[in-house]
Amino acid sequence: MNRSRVPALAALLLVAAAWAWGAQALWHSTELPSLDLAHLDPHDYFSDSFLDRSATYERFLTILSLLATATVVAVLAVYARRGEQLARESAAGRVGTGLLLAMLGFAIVWLSQVPFDLASLWWQRRYDVSHQDYLRHLLDSFLSLGSEFVFLCLSFAVMMGFAGIFRRWWWLATVPVFAALMLAFAFLTPYLVPNTSAIDNPGLVAEARALERIEDAPEARLRVQEVHKFTAAPNAEAAGLGPSRTVILWDTLLRDFEPSEVRLVLAHEVAHLAHDDPLKQVGWMAVYLIPALGLMALLTRRRGGLARPEAIPLAILVLVVVQLLATPLLNTVTRRQEAAADWAALEATREPDTQRWLMQKLSEKSLGNPDPPSWVYAMFENHPTIMQRIALADAWAQRQRDLARK
Amino acid sequence: MRLLLSDNLERSRGTVFFRLIFALPFLIWLTVWGIAAVFVAFVAWIATLFEGRPPAPLHEFLSRFVRFATHTYAYLNLAAEPLPTFDGKPGYPVDLEVEPPVPQGRWSVFFRLVLALPALLLLAVLFGSGSVGDFTFSNARGGLGGVIGTAALLAWFYTLVRGRANRGLRDLAAYVISYGAQAWSYLLLVSDEYPDSDPLTAIGPLPTRSDPIRMEVSDELRRSRLTVFFRFALAFPHLVWLTLWGVLALLTAIVNWFAIVFTGDSPQWAHRFLSAFLRYQTHVLAFLYLVANPFPGFVGAAGSYPVELHVAGRTQQNRWTAFFRLVLAFPALMLAGAFSQALLVVAVLAWFASLFTAQMPLGLRNLGALALRYQGQAYGYVFLLTGAYPYSGPCHEVAPAG
Repeated sequence: MNRSRVPALAALLLVAAAWAWGAQALWHSTELPSLDLAHLDPHDYFSDSFLDRSATYERFLTILSLLATATVVAVLAVYARRGEQLARESAAGRVGTGLLLAMLGFAIVWLSQVPFDLASLWWQRRYDVSHQDYLRHLLDSFLSLGSEFVFLCLSFAVMMGFAGIFRRWWWLATVPVFAALMLAFAFLTPYLVPNTSAIDNPGLVAEARALERIEDAPEARLRVQEVHKFTAAPNAEAAGLGPSRTVILWDTLLRDFEPSEVRLVLAHEVAHLAHDDPLKQVGWMAVYLIPALGLMALLTRRRGGLARPEAIPLAILVLVVVQLLATPLLNTVTRRQEAAADWAALEATREPDTQRWLMQKLSEKSLGNPDPPSWVYAMFENHPTIMQRIALADAWAQRQRDLARK
Repeated sequence: MRLLLSDNLERSRGTVFFRLIFALPFLIWLTVWGIAAVFVAFVAWIATLFEGRPPAPLHEFLSRFVRFATHTYAYLNLAAEPLPTFDGKPGYPVDLEVEPPVPQGRWSVFFRLVLALPALLLLAVLFGSGSVGDFTFSNARGGLGGVIGTAALLAWFYTLVRGRANRGLRDLAAYVISYGAQAWSYLLLVSDEYPDSDPLTAIGPLPTRSDPIRMEVSDELRRSRLTVFFRFALAFPHLVWLTLWGVLALLTAIVNWFAIVFTGDSPQWAHRFLSAFLRYQTHVLAFLYLVANPFPGFVGAAGSYPVELHVAGRTQQNRWTAFFRLVLAFPALMLAGAFSQALLVVAVLAWFASLFTAQMPLGLRNLGALALRYQGQAYGYVFLLTGAYPYSGPCHEVAPAG
């Protein structure tokens, strides 16, 4: 071995060790009791007609999603080979040209996704899950490219700038900067969600404060997002860090669900904040970025490294493929966080029956397949399946009975 | 069809002061004539579809109408001094040379109203929104609408003070009137030629200037369909960066103002910083509005872009005009605002044209460049990069000697 490489290898080993330690620490920071969940039969909870309907609905969307993914990879593969020719459309310097090539790569991807996007909307409208107008949907999506490009430019400007300074090791220098940017973004996210307003239901606000006390969570902002014009599906999310911590409930949830069900959803979202899940997501993204960017740095060397604009089309392909490959792993992480939030919500509300009804109702409203095939589960599901969440409620109830017997 | 300009810029303060009132009878007559022209144009449309060319008497009637409209608008907007005649005969200082009827393509005649829509859209922003639906009273009703309305208002004040028309404002009004005449000639089947929006060829010989802030255009008109389609989204990061830079530029301009008011001179660093900002703004707007093709850099480097704003080095400035700069710049900013509306329409039309043909129409490009040049000069004047007032008319530009 060349002696000059020893420090580099040692540094790499150090990084790998820190990475492994960080990943396992993050994994164990989400506590979940060891449970042996029963495999429940969906036919015991849902009608045959609903199961058929939801399976048909999801099958089409899954096939569409696979085709869309294959198209993205194919388009980017072509772009990786020929995209550098588009550098002639730039009068910007090295970094500016790289930013243009990055934006054009994603612009072409957007174009390639339009048919799938419209087909998906058509399907959702057919099943009454979405009410969005085609033209409006397309226009919104087109216009939102502008803000996406701002983030894209910022990211690639950092990467290309560091690649110019640190050469082969740019990816290591970039991760802390990206982590800082993601922290800033995680902080700002609640303020960037459109069409939100404060919840004007004092009873619900009081429920939230009580749940925060029970779950030992910090006080969060409570907002409702108006989405009923676009979709009938219910949803909620917890976002933000420190003073920006916010629970956002969709108005479809408040409109169509019983107070006890809304309370359970609230308890679930409060649990995310109590567990610091938005912060942990930033940590997981940093864990993901280290190998992803390292691979990008390695594979773009043939084209002069990421400092060169010619390498950008290939870098985008690498980024997207790595993201695809990492998705099942990242889904495992989020599923664990969701299960832990479900468990905490059950502990706070002590209403397993409500959890069962809620899950049934959620599935019916969004036409989600309660028990999807394993590969779909691994690839696409970032929450436990509906049947797993019902089984979790059963397990919690069983545990309470066992404790009572003791 | 050609605009003939023989106006000598001489004006009488009295007729200028009462110009709108004096123009009223002509506007009323234009309206009456306009109603008749619509019916005649419809008959001419049917006849041209059958004959392949408009009948001579109808063509003469419509030509006279367009010529009379040209005279009336020139008078109203202070582009000429004498009262026009009511018969639309040639001989006015801002006149129209119309060719005799020539064969016209039947398909283009059949779809004339649709084909004229882009030209009418541009006309709307140049004349003010009233001009599409009502060619006659647009100025009187719309007041300051459009480029020509703003130019006329500024010309009114200027002429009352100086007793003479401003060459730039007069040429700008003549250009807009020329475009209006072409557009209506096309719509009314007087001519088969599509209106040309090029300000450099509309009104005959143009002055050659070497202003301290000038524009150099070396764009080759080719456009990439891909970057044209995504132009707004691609420009968005630049717009964010421009906004951030704009905040610093504003602060620097304030420092610059104090420096010039007290010393008569601009600090070198402030001049350099503001020049770079102005250049960058021109690059970004040229890219956004499709006046140029390539993606610009983020630092406003001199000589890096095919639509380039050259800013001369700092010179001693009059402290009094510097002290009142914002007040003095107000008219220029008004006209810059009118130009920005024209730029938007240029961008919309150019977007479609470039997507279909992968080429930017020369006329639209040059109109866009004129608007950008004026805006650059106006903001340069506001930022105290120069004491020279913006020149509003179309002109040829050369680098200053030495």
